[in-house]
Amino acid sequence: MTEIIVVTSGKGGVGKTTSSASIAMGLARRGKRVAVIDFDVGLRNLDLIMGCERRVVYDFVNVIQGEATLKQALIKDKRFDNLHVLAASQTRDKDALTKEGVERVLNELKEMAFDIILCDSPAGIEKGAFLAMYFADRAIVVVNPEVSSVRDSDRILGLLASKTRHAESGEKRVAQHLLLTRYNPERVERGDMMSIADVQEILGLEVLGVIPESESVLAGSNAGNPVILDTASNAGQAYDDAVARLLGESVPMRFTEAQKKGFLTRLFGG
Amino acid sequence: MLRAVSRPAPDVRARKSPPPAATAEASAASIDLFESKPSAANAASARVAELRFGQVGIAQLKLHSLDPALVYADVEARVRAAPQLFEGAPLVLDLSALDAVPAAAAVRALIDAVHGAGLHPVGLAAGEEGVVALARALDLPLFAKLRAEREPAPVPEAAAVPVTVAADADPAPEPVVVEVPVPAEARPVGQHHADPVRSGQRLYARGTDLTVAAVVGHGAEVIADGSIHIYGVLRGRALAGARGDASARIYCQNFQAELVAIAGQYRVFEEPVADLHGKPVQAWLEGDKLRLAPLS
Repeated sequence: MTEIIVVTSGKGGVGKTTSSASIAMGLARRGKRVAVIDFDVGLRNLDLIMGCERRVVYDFVNVIQGEATLKQALIKDKRFDNLHVLAASQTRDKDALTKEGVERVLNELKEMAFDIILCDSPAGIEKGAFLAMYFADRAIVVVNPEVSSVRDSDRILGLLASKTRHAESGEKRVAQHLLLTRYNPERVERGDMMSIADVQEILGLEVLGVIPESESVLAGSNAGNPVILDTASNAGQAYDDAVARLLGESVPMRFTEAQKKGFLTRLFGG
Repeated sequence: MLRAVSRPAPDVRARKSPPPAATAEASAASIDLFESKPSAANAASARVAELRFGQVGIAQLKLHSLDPALVYADVEARVRAAPQLFEGAPLVLDLSALDAVPAAAAVRALIDAVHGAGLHPVGLAAGEEGVVALARALDLPLFAKLRAEREPAPVPEAAAVPVTVAADADPAPEPVVVEVPVPAEARPVGQHHADPVRSGQRLYARGTDLTVAAVVGHGAEVIADGSIHIYGVLRGRALAGARGDASARIYCQNFQAELVAIAGQYRVFEEPVADLHGKPVQAWLEGDKLRLAPLS
């Protein structure tokens, strides 16, 4: 049974692609057969962060328009051979995506017996974002602890409840998860960042995971190594916890409290 | 002014055989006489068309001016304030507030103005005698006025023509017209919504109350022709009495609203109000004044 999961947010720059890459890696590392699709046609980024940008020959739009087969376009990851990437096209725009085309590609991926199809949504609520979420069974809404991101996430959650295939058929609802990224417990403690409780209260949802703000995220993205592979980093471990929860495991939250600075660190700086 | 009326229309249904039980069925209020047994021969032809009359809520636009530009500006502003409310909704022009029955050309200009502003005039409200001639000149139907039992309201022509279904074996040429008066206050049961109303979403309970058993988020909008009940946090906007019912109220469990309105009287909350913020609150109209108070 293939599950389609969309990673979305409404607002740009909150970490959708970074999260998609890490979650896809994490699911594959746990043995799942994963295909991850970049829906951000015209601004392809996922392949960069996954470190396969030089192996993109055919892309999502080529498959939709029948210029290449899905097998030709899927890029197998070098670290996990049960992980495949379908890159976005850099030279087209989002009008190249059609509902029928997207559905056909998703159905073909289902026939290829993938366990999970991860759809990395573009920002906004236009066609690309709409098509990324339309066929989803589950949604991971990436949110930063700040008001505009929370507001946009609320909007996206509303669209997930009304503008998806499941919502339209009325058969079942799209399961919704919140992923709080760029969380900085020290700044929350100082009161200049929203807390987990604030975000959960406004959106009325529990968080699936909280990813602490970390320099290793950017370093990993730049090197084409999603941060989840950096098992020494807090962010990498937090992503792995989120993946475990996504698969139904019960894992306690980590890295959500400000570090208590000891006497010596306070004295000498830390 | 713009107000809504419900016009109780006779429920006319026709059948081909004289129903001995017709009176009994009629008193049972909700009936479908069409479930009579059509013979095999005319079973198909009996279903060509069904004419039914039901109660419809229809907005009335009472005109105080004959100037199309002024009317356009006024109506356009209302439509802009609640575009979804008026989307595709029919409208009856009420000329009773004017000094005299205007000329057909003047009314035509008014209809164009109202239509241009985004509403759909479908007829005239019955009034003085001159209106009947005017409606005929404009080829528009007349709508009987609500609560005007005193005046013998001219019935729209369609209602006077019952469907006659050809009778075969039954010697009953007379169509049976069953009238079921619908009380004006018979509203649909309140609308219920259990999911959070998210930013950018808009709920509208037409002709009834709205109950939301969840949060109404920032930038979300809940609208009802009746009252609004929110069992959750109200962070967005709530507009009750959207068609002018000044007795509508708004209740919420946790008040953090951006805007509250009843029958067009509104208040925006730029800053949280200390006595109300986060508390259970109700809002109502006292005259033209919008009042809010914690529920105790």
